[in-house]
Amino acid sequence: MFNGLSLEQAPPISVVLRFFITLPIFGIVLALLMIAAPDELLTLGHWYSLGAIHLLFLGIVSMGMIGALFQMQSVLGGAPIQNPHRHSLIIHALLSVGITALVGAFVWNIPVLFMVASIALGGALIYFATIMLPLLFGTLSHDTLKGMRFSLLSLFLTATLGVIMAVSYGSGVISDHHITVRTVHYSFGLMGWVAALIIYVAFQVVEMFYVTTSYSDWCKTNVKRIIGSMLAFKIVGLVGNLPFVWVFDTVVAVLLTGFVVTTLKRLKTRKRRVGDVSIWFWFAGLGLLMIAIITYGAFLVLGLSSLVSVALIAFALFALAILLGMMGKIVPFLVWFHLNAAGFMETPIMSTIISTKRLKLTFWFFITTALLALMAPWYPWLLRGAGIVALGLFTVIATNLIMATRLYAHVLKTGTKFSFDIP
Amino acid sequence: MIELDVRDLEHPVPLGLAVEAFKKLSIDEVIHMIHRKEPRPLFEILTKNGGFYHSVQDVQGLWHIYISRNSGIDLETFHV
Repeated sequence: MFNGLSLEQAPPISVVLRFFITLPIFGIVLALLMIAAPDELLTLGHWYSLGAIHLLFLGIVSMGMIGALFQMQSVLGGAPIQNPHRHSLIIHALLSVGITALVGAFVWNIPVLFMVASIALGGALIYFATIMLPLLFGTLSHDTLKGMRFSLLSLFLTATLGVIMAVSYGSGVISDHHITVRTVHYSFGLMGWVAALIIYVAFQVVEMFYVTTSYSDWCKTNVKRIIGSMLAFKIVGLVGNLPFVWVFDTVVAVLLTGFVVTTLKRLKTRKRRVGDVSIWFWFAGLGLLMIAIITYGAFLVLGLSSLVSVALIAFALFALAILLGMMGKIVPFLVWFHLNAAGFMETPIMSTIISTKRLKLTFWFFITTALLALMAPWYPWLLRGAGIVALGLFTVIATNLIMATRLYAHVLKTGTKFSFDIP
Repeated sequence: MIELDVRDLEHPVPLGLAVEAFKKLSIDEVIHMIHRKEPRPLFEILTKNGGFYHSVQDVQGLWHIYISRNSGIDLETFHV
């Protein structure tokens, strides 16, 4: 009784895991940078600071989100990606080379590395666009898929502007519109790509993982419209050098506050209060997002640069918290799912694939890193402490991923398949 | 018919329960799973391991999934 769904909806496990496993490597590099140069990292606009920001948002957050998109796109009912193994290998290789070159260019100030980064990152994102976007146009029934489409378009705009800036850094020709381009680049990156994607993924996974009431149809339909229109107005305001551009940021801040409140309400009134580390990450992430909103609002009023640093750190940690919470769910599920799909009797139960003890350790490393990093704009030496703890955090994440992969490989090699008598 | 009402359970617990029940399923038995979502990943596991299913959504929005490992059983007749 086959009802029309593809039998090969889910991509191979390696497609997703290669992105996830790269994430702690960039995380360890970031932690070392935090230990080596805390003062430079906390100076807005410093080359080291730009290197760290791109390590965090590209090397860690985007690497994880692109890996998760390969899984979610097809499972949510979008058209399956053809040849996912080959496509993910090419995108992953280009992204890894591009991110390494970009961070190297910022840290060591080597112009040719900006050119390498432009080619690799530009190539990765054009390639990703050509395979992913056609699958997300046409008739889509799922709000999360529509949200993914909006986020991906934002990512491509962010990346295009990023490539333009990298070329200008590499060639030494900085245009008169550089500051406008940079503002549009990070606005679309932070709001259109990171925040919108997390919100649309939340619409799907909060209800699914925690058995809550679903978000309203109004939210599902209008979040992308509001973020998209505010970003468009902001571009017009910036290009036209108009006053009151902050109004558009404020509307997005109100929207994000609404997301925090509605999500917290759902999590607090969930049906089954099962102990789950991933929900700790959700609470932490939502708290961090509120800190980011409040400190950014305080910056608009008071104009203190330390408040922008706190807002940016809190926003990055919000994205990381949600990503780590979701990875703690996705990785065991993928191992379990692919072993079961292959029919292995020895498929472990999901809760044993990454032990609760190690997930809790990941969370406490994360919280400690977050607290130290949030205080660092006033006490820069704390960023060195945050870096040391972050080293532990990313080492534990790497261990979790490696052990889950080894368990998968072990069952694949030594397991026996269940079979039925043919009727 | 084996009843498996998982509508109040968080993902991915329903999948784990369904797969365990499927592994123990005898040739003439049918699992009736009630879920608040259509469990698409489960269908891939079932079809790759000799299973058959029929899923249908009722007027309340709940999904009823009928599972067997016997191609001779017409699962569509189980839904009333």
